[in-house]
Amino acid sequence: MSLIEAHALEKRYGTVRAVYDVTFRVEPGEIVALLGRNGAGKTTTIELLLGLRAPDAGSASIRGHAPTTRNARVHVGAMPQHTGFPDGLRVSELLALAAAHYPTPVAAKEILATFDLTELADKRVGELSGGQQRRVALALAFVGNPSVVMLDEPSTGLDVEARRALWEQIRHAADETRCVLFTTHYLEEAEALATRIIVIDGGELRFDGAPRAFRERFGACRLEYIGAPLVHLVPEGATSRTPDGRTVVTTDDTDAYVRALVASATPFSNLRITQSSFEEVFLDLVGGNRS
Amino acid sequence: MNLTLLRAHVAAILRDLMRTPSFLIPTVLFPTMFFLIFAMTYAHTGSGAANFLVCSYVGFAMIGVTLFQFGVGVAVERGRPWERYLRALPVSVATRFAARVVVALIFGMASAGLVALTARLLTPVSLDAAQWGMLALFAVIGAIPFVLIGLAIAYWVAPRGALPVTNVLYLLGLFVGGFWMPPQFLPSIAAAISPFTPTRQYGELLWSVAQPHDAFHAGVVLALYAIAFAAIAIVGYRRDERTRYA
Repeated sequence: MSLIEAHALEKRYGTVRAVYDVTFRVEPGEIVALLGRNGAGKTTTIELLLGLRAPDAGSASIRGHAPTTRNARVHVGAMPQHTGFPDGLRVSELLALAAAHYPTPVAAKEILATFDLTELADKRVGELSGGQQRRVALALAFVGNPSVVMLDEPSTGLDVEARRALWEQIRHAADETRCVLFTTHYLEEAEALATRIIVIDGGELRFDGAPRAFRERFGACRLEYIGAPLVHLVPEGATSRTPDGRTVVTTDDTDAYVRALVASATPFSNLRITQSSFEEVFLDLVGGNRS
Repeated sequence: MNLTLLRAHVAAILRDLMRTPSFLIPTVLFPTMFFLIFAMTYAHTGSGAANFLVCSYVGFAMIGVTLFQFGVGVAVERGRPWERYLRALPVSVATRFAARVVVALIFGMASAGLVALTARLLTPVSLDAAQWGMLALFAVIGAIPFVLIGLAIAYWVAPRGALPVTNVLYLLGLFVGGFWMPPQFLPSIAAAISPFTPTRQYGELLWSVAQPHDAFHAGVVLALYAIAFAAIAIVGYRRDERTRYA
């Protein structure tokens, strides 16, 4: 039985289709990034899986149970996108409140240490910085020792250093017995953390697979040089010219292009071959430039 | 209902509110403060007056706690992201609601208890143990409609509007209900409206402890108010659920 199962999930807000026909499963040990632009349907998908919203069609389950049931919820730890903690509570008290809901929570000392909160245990959450509050929110998701952890944009609003520290903590807290599903619109975050990527755009699932497969399937090599393009070798639109006279070619077979370029005796210089960045691949995919 | 979770939620809400002076001071201290400022002179005219006033200010305390705990408290919290986190936890809505009721009872008893203690120490109040017990019982049971009025406000008024709306209803209700001056001294318009208000009926119930008279009518009217506002609150709650979580 999968830890998370979404089957043909669909959700509309009035005339807006937020999620449409989304199907996937998440197994133990996986760290899955739900990747998409703002408004792509990521948060709605998480809310459907958490039982915070009811689907218009399709179904979701956590370890075989409907997400709204106690049987499902005792296995789920969640980190909402926004927290809005009760300001008067201390960090340790907030964690104790969350821990009280689970049968086998993580010991207070351990959870504080894991998320670098030991020094802040007696501080009121209202006195914490934004980054510290995100760490507390992350600790709340893991304190129940759940087998399913769902994080909604865990690093939003954090600076680069704090974001990287947060990734490290998520990596450390994730293990083979549980799965972590997180939403993000940071491609770097998805690439750094996830063992699997699910791309959602316009509410529809556009890709589901390993980060490497994502790049291999949709990514291509880019070849740049000063000189004229060999337009007959690549599909229309795969070549372009920059204002400074450089030719940019996107192709899956750079070797063949270079061989043809040399054989054609076309004058060229400053040849450079690069791989499409993760971001370029993503933009190509959600922009609909590739299928 | 899971008592461990109930205890955990009660402890969390209590701690949070105890550390919020803007809630704690008005809720717990204002009724006693107002009693000392406005009621002491009249209370010293005799034990009858002191008994009447202590009943009034106990009611004043209970109405304040219930209206603000449920009206403002729930209204503000239903819009907070923290509420979404709590909803994703394995805890029933009933347990969380019960926790709020327990906390309101604790603050209500603290606030009303302080009024009673002050009256006992500083005025010629002459209620016997049975009357004190009856006063506590009526204060709690009679406050149920105000819990429901609070919830109706919470689910029908926007979070930002809940505080001013509750304040206006609270102050007007206390005045028209005869809590700040005996009903017979109210201006004519207020006196005409007074019998139809839940605060006046709550007052009648409480005053029946000090000046024995038949409180059955007051109890029935309060029960009808409770039913009416429960219906309004339930419709508002369902509307809010559809908007936020459907």
